[in-house]
Amino acid sequence: MAAVDPRLEQYARLLVERAVDVQPGWQVMVIGTPLARPLIEEIVLQIARKGAYPLVRLSWVDHEQVPFDSLWATEAPAELLTAMAPAEAKVRGELDSWMVVFAPENTRAGTVLPPERRALLRHAYVEFNQRRMAPGFPWVGCLYPTEALAQDAGMLLSDYADFVFGACLLDWDAEGERMRRFVDRFDRAETVRIGGDGTDLTMALAPGRSCHVDDAHYNLPGGEFFCCPREDSAEGVVEYSEFPAIYQGASCEGVRLRFEGGVVVDASARTNEAFLHGALDTDEGARRIGELGIGCNPGIQRHTRNVLFDEKMDGTIHIAVGFGLAFAGGTNASAVHWDMVKDLRAGGRIELDGEVVQENGVWAL
Amino acid sequence: MDPRTQAYARILVDCIDPQPEWQVLVRSQPPGRPLIEEITRELGRRGARALVRLGFEQAGGTFVREAPMELLGTLSDIERHEIENADSYMAILAPENTRATADIPAERLSTRTAALREPHLPYLMDVKPWVGCYFPTAAAAQDAGLSLPAFEDFLYGAVLIDWHELREKMELIMEHFDRAETVRIIGPETDLTFSLAGRGGKVDALGANMPGGEVFYSPVEDSAEGVITYSEYPACYLGHAVDGVRLQFEAGRIVEASATSDEEFLLGTLDTDEGARRLGEFGIGCNPGIQRHMKNTLFDEKMEGTIHLAVGTGFPQIGGTNASGVHWDMVKDLRAGGRIELDGEVVQESGEWRL
Repeated sequence: MAAVDPRLEQYARLLVERAVDVQPGWQVMVIGTPLARPLIEEIVLQIARKGAYPLVRLSWVDHEQVPFDSLWATEAPAELLTAMAPAEAKVRGELDSWMVVFAPENTRAGTVLPPERRALLRHAYVEFNQRRMAPGFPWVGCLYPTEALAQDAGMLLSDYADFVFGACLLDWDAEGERMRRFVDRFDRAETVRIGGDGTDLTMALAPGRSCHVDDAHYNLPGGEFFCCPREDSAEGVVEYSEFPAIYQGASCEGVRLRFEGGVVVDASARTNEAFLHGALDTDEGARRIGELGIGCNPGIQRHTRNVLFDEKMDGTIHIAVGFGLAFAGGTNASAVHWDMVKDLRAGGRIELDGEVVQENGVWAL
Repeated sequence: MDPRTQAYARILVDCIDPQPEWQVLVRSQPPGRPLIEEITRELGRRGARALVRLGFEQAGGTFVREAPMELLGTLSDIERHEIENADSYMAILAPENTRATADIPAERLSTRTAALREPHLPYLMDVKPWVGCYFPTAAAAQDAGLSLPAFEDFLYGAVLIDWHELREKMELIMEHFDRAETVRIIGPETDLTFSLAGRGGKVDALGANMPGGEVFYSPVEDSAEGVITYSEYPACYLGHAVDGVRLQFEAGRIVEASATSDEEFLLGTLDTDEGARRLGEFGIGCNPGIQRHMKNTLFDEKMEGTIHLAVGTGFPQIGGTNASGVHWDMVKDLRAGGRIELDGEVVQESGEWRL
């Protein structure tokens, strides 16, 4: 076997120890593709040494939920799609922790399943998503560098791997401290206003909706803080003119959303608008905001068409339509959670109760 | 994609015959991908659910190498629940290296195997259907001494056959054996008799092995008398290939054993326990797609014109009472001058049936 990249051992340690803190006897699901073998083997080794059980689920599609579902669901009777197999549901009800390692060989593999079947399948995942997002459940998402991801990022694999490890292997205690300074100011504010190219959007930050810092406890990389704005509060327009909005392998350029009373009342996109409308029509909650996040990772300075990294980009914010994060007080229910990333580094602005706290991506705090 | 993969997937799913909403565990390794994907779709078409479980290695892997022994000896609640609640399982061997467990201490492997045994009893007892098979990989071809294309041709030749027709043919053969009391196997340095009195046979077609293609019995445990010499092929077991095995039986028990290579392994295995010196199985290979020996029992024991006798544990489902930790199938070619007699009547000569 080729020598294992020494960074993987450190990466796995961050996942197993820092992010989810595996305890003896735990049952830990580890989802990934065969391409991620070096990292998955390292994760399994570290879980085993903690005296816990790794439950590895490999597939080439469907990282986030049930392996091979896209293939199965192309052929299975439609009425079976909306609920998980009882054994799968039971597994997800009993897991102590959940890890997903994104390592696609083709980031568009999920498109094998027609959108209407995809929508049915999403219902099967709602229950576990709720459990995962409930307070106290330890989970983490991360990524293993593959050619497909490098291709999406427009980079060579070796450069992309450097980018990934550069964003993940940080001094997370120091990053956490830095972000908590910003959070202190956010938690005192009542309204947040995002200004920028084609954008003027206001949301209410309600009491009990304090911000959460991801210093490598939810995702690797971490490097964001986020909150759930009041579900009926969003007013105005946001335009994602800088980057495409990417969700489940589909990409929409120039997404523009207009909110009234918290609801998207007008949505358009320059490309793939039908996909945007389809996602927003999935259910009632898909038209409301489930998350506002602020990217703070200094190791991420470029968009790589991968939300796990893009949403952490320093100088950006992201707003998700769809389900809210219950552990952060969010109440919006939906089968969708689509993070859309907006760059504020060229003329963007964040105001808290009328005070500018960030301009052109630079903090004024 | 190789069109044979799709046909293979259909036959494998036929083997377990899933009912709507069955939960079917599909176990394999990444090189089995084309077949796994076809099976997943085929299960969907039949309204069954696929619980696909891929591991980097078939047995072993990092967990078995590294986990504390006390953890290794237990199953997680989730794994146990899944095995107990599945309606069926399909095991597709798709090795990328058939020696991948070579570095794992036997104690670790057997501890893991023992932990898995109990929830699998309904499968071992034929209460729930399962099927085991191979996907042709370079590693499997290498073990067979073939190129991958040649191994694919061999494998698909053995599995893509008309199973209903072969089943009928094997049922006819079984009727003759079911009626008989005494079987005599004759060949070079071989003259062995044993009794099937009170024992019924079983036909393997679209069952737990793919390829199938054998009729098998558990002979009466104290009946074997005489000598058998496996001069044509090595007797393969647990990674060993023992040449020229010769076994002499008295009252069902092996009283003398020798081999021209690796004799120590043969004798050690026969000394495992009391049952290891008695017959657990007599099988008759009937698969017309298998004409050559592969040093792989799954295929070799089905070869048309051969018989095999297993020392060690028998099949309780068909009346076998011999208990042992061993089940070593040894294959004997009868195509060059061999003979099978039932109660004194020749029913097969030089591999040709005379029924």
